Amino acid sequence: MPIADHKKCTGCRICEIICSIQHHKEMNPKLAMVRINSNWPWEDKVIICRQCKKPKCVEACEYEAIERVDGCLRIDEDKCTACLECVKACPFEGVVVSEITGKPIFCDTCNEEYLCVKWCPHQVLSKT
Amino acid sequence: MSNKKYFGYAGKILTVDLSSSDYVVKDTPFDLIVNFMGGKGFGAKILYDELKPGCDPLSEENIMVVATGPLTGTLMPASGHITLSTKSPLTGIWLDSHCAGFLGPELKMAGYDAIIIKGKAKKPTVLVIKDDGVSFEDGRDIWGKFTFESQELLRKKYGENCQFMCIGPAGERKARFANIVSGGRGFGRGGSGAVMGSKNLKAVVVKGTRGIGIYDLDGFMRICTEAYNELTVSPDTGGGRPKYGTNSIYSFMIEAGAHPIKNFQTGVFKAVKECNEDVLDKKYYKRHIACFSCPINCSKASRVDDGKYKGKFTEGPEYENMWSLGAQCGNSNIGSIIYGEHLCDEYGLDAISTGNVIGFTMECFEKGILSEKQIGFPTNFGNDDAIIKFIKMMAKGEGVGELMSQGVRQMSKELGKGTEKFAMHVKGMEIPAYDPRGAFGMGLAYATSDRGACHLRAWTLGDEILDVRDRMDPFATEFKAELVKNQQDFFAVIQSAVVCLFLNFGLTQRHITRCLQSLTGIKEWKTTEDILKIGERIYNLTRLFSMREGISAKDDTLPQRLLREPTKEGPTKGVVVDLDTMLKEYYLIRHWDREGRPAKEKLIELGLDKYKV
Repeated sequence: MPIADHKKCTGCRICEIICSIQHHKEMNPKLAMVRINSNWPWEDKVIICRQCKKPKCVEACEYEAIERVDGCLRIDEDKCTACLECVKACPFEGVVVSEITGKPIFCDTCNEEYLCVKWCPHQVLSKT
Repeated sequence: MSNKKYFGYAGKILTVDLSSSDYVVKDTPFDLIVNFMGGKGFGAKILYDELKPGCDPLSEENIMVVATGPLTGTLMPASGHITLSTKSPLTGIWLDSHCAGFLGPELKMAGYDAIIIKGKAKKPTVLVIKDDGVSFEDGRDIWGKFTFESQELLRKKYGENCQFMCIGPAGERKARFANIVSGGRGFGRGGSGAVMGSKNLKAVVVKGTRGIGIYDLDGFMRICTEAYNELTVSPDTGGGRPKYGTNSIYSFMIEAGAHPIKNFQTGVFKAVKECNEDVLDKKYYKRHIACFSCPINCSKASRVDDGKYKGKFTEGPEYENMWSLGAQCGNSNIGSIIYGEHLCDEYGLDAISTGNVIGFTMECFEKGILSEKQIGFPTNFGNDDAIIKFIKMMAKGEGVGELMSQGVRQMSKELGKGTEKFAMHVKGMEIPAYDPRGAFGMGLAYATSDRGACHLRAWTLGDEILDVRDRMDPFATEFKAELVKNQQDFFAVIQSAVVCLFLNFGLTQRHITRCLQSLTGIKEWKTTEDILKIGERIYNLTRLFSMREGISAKDDTLPQRLLREPTKEGPTKGVVVDLDTMLKEYYLIRHWDREGRPAKEKLIELGLDKYKV
C-alpha cells in the first residue's frame, strides 16, 4: 500500500511520467494512475489509491463498477457512469480521475513493484 | 496516443493568425528537426525565413515562435522548459526567452511541437489550444487584471490542469521589458510580454492528453536512470542547488567581487551578513518547488513572517532577483525583495531589467541628474520603499516610471549628461547579476550574447570562480574565448532540446547526446559533434538575424564603466575588463571577420550559405 508524505512533494510529476511509461510505453502523465494536484505555491499533493482492505469507494459505487482483480481495485469502464461518488467517498483523497475518460483510474501497483515509489526523488511515496 | 512518425516529437506545428482568427496545422518538417532540433533552433530558422527585416517589434508584423524540443515533457530530468523566439522590443534584435514549469510538456501533450503566432487581434483575446482544436475567445473580462488573478479566472473557466501564457498590465501597455507569466514561472527577458500585448493577446491556454513516443525504450530508460543518478551525486545539482535554489552561489559571488553592488559602482556588499542564502533558507524558504520531471527543485516558496512586509510571498526569490532588487539597489531588506519579485510577476515585468533600471535611476538621483521633484520622492540607494514604488510606476507607466519602463538604454539616451557610461546594458538588454570585473569570461559572454547582455548564453562563473579543482584565473583573458564559444553552442543545443540549463551542472554533453539518440532514433545525430554542430548553426543564424537588424562588431561591447572604470575596493580593486583581447580571439575561433560577420566558409560548413551576411 503506497503512502504519501505530501509535505515532501515538490510537484515534479516524475511519478506520473514513469507510471505512463510502465503501462503504456509512452510518456503521458494524463494516462498515469497517480496524480499530482497542485495548490501553487504552497502545496503539491499526491493522489494515489491505497488499496484499502475495506474500500469506501466500492461501497459508494451504486453501479458496482469497482472490482478487485488480482488484489487490486479496478474500474469497469462499461459500468462506470463517471458520477464520481467514489471520489467523494475516499477518505484519503486517493481516487485519480482520468482527464481523458472522466472516469477513475486505480493504481495497479506495478505487480507490487511500485515504480512511482522507486523513482520519487524525495521519498514522498513509500510502501507499507 | 503518441505520434509514431518521429519519436520524441509531437509532429505538428500550429500557425495562428490573430488578425483573421484563422489557424493552420502542418507536419513538423523533418529537415527542420534534423538541422535545428526544436525550441530556439526552430525559432531561429522560422523567424529568419518569415520575419520582415526591419519590422517594428510591436507591430502586427512581428511573429512569436513558441517551441518545445524533443526532450521537452519526457522522463529526461528537467524537461519542463519551453522557448519563445521573437524580435525584441527592448533591443530591436534577436530574442529567445525560456520558461520553466509545465507549459512545454502540456503543449506537446496538446499535439504541437510549436505554435507560430502572427498578426494582431482586434480586441483582447485568449487563445485556447486543446487536443481537439483551437479557438479565439474574448479576453476583455481579464484584460487589465494581474497575471495570477487572470490565471485563476482562466483555470475556473477552462478547467484544472491547464497551463498558461499570460501577460499582466505591463505587457498590455507594452512596457519594453514586460514578461509573460506561466504558473509561477515566466518568459522573463527581452519584452516578449510587450509583443504579446501589442497583439492584443492576453493569454494562451493549453491543455492536452497526447503522449510522447520513445524510439529505444530500454536505452532511453538506461540513460535517464544514469542522468538522475549523476544529478544526485553532483555537489551542485545534488547539494547546494536543491537546498538554497539558485542562491547557492550567492556568497561565492559576493566573496569574488562578482556580485555587482549599487549599479556596478563597487563589488563590496557590506550588508551580506543579513542578506545571504543562509538567511533565506532559515527565515524565508517555506518549501521546495520543482518543474516538470526535475529532481533538483531549485525553486522555493518564500514568505515573510514579520516586519513591514509580513505576509508577502513569492515563488523565489532567485539569485538574479536577489541581486536586481537587492544589491543592485543597495537594498538588503529581503522582505522587500520578496514583495518586489511578486509585484514584478503580478504586473508582468522582467525583474532583472526592473532592478537594473531602478539601480541606474538611484545613481542618477544621487548624482543630481534626476531631482526629487522630477521623481516625486527621494531615491537614495537602499531605499526599499522607492523600489516598490518604482515597480508599480513602471508597470503602470506613471511619472518617471514611463521612461524607466523603456529600458536603461533609452532612459540614458533621453537623460544624456554622460549617463551612457553607467547605463548597464549590452545591445539594449540590461546586464544581469554578475560583474565581469570579477570574472572576465562574463564580459565576453555579455558582449557576444545573441540577445544582448545575458548570463544564459554562456555562464563562465563555474570555471572562473566555483571550480575548486581546476579553476581558471578570473582576471585572465586566456582560454575565455574558447570557453564562451563552446558554451554558447552547447547552451543553444540545450535550449533547442528543450531542457533546463541546470543539467549542465550535473550532466555531460555525452549524456544529452545519448538521450537524444535513444529517444528520437534520428540517424543524423550520431555523435556529440553532430549535436554541437546544430548548436553552432543556431548561434550563427541568430547572429545573422541580428546583423540583418543592424548589429555589427561595434555593438559587441560593454558599458564604459566595465571597460574604463576600475572598482575602488574589494577583491576586484583596480580591475577593468580586457574585452578587446578576448573578442579578437573569439571572432577568430568562430570564423567571424573583424566586423563580426560569419565567414562564408563557416556558413557553408553549417549549411547556412543561402543566408546573406
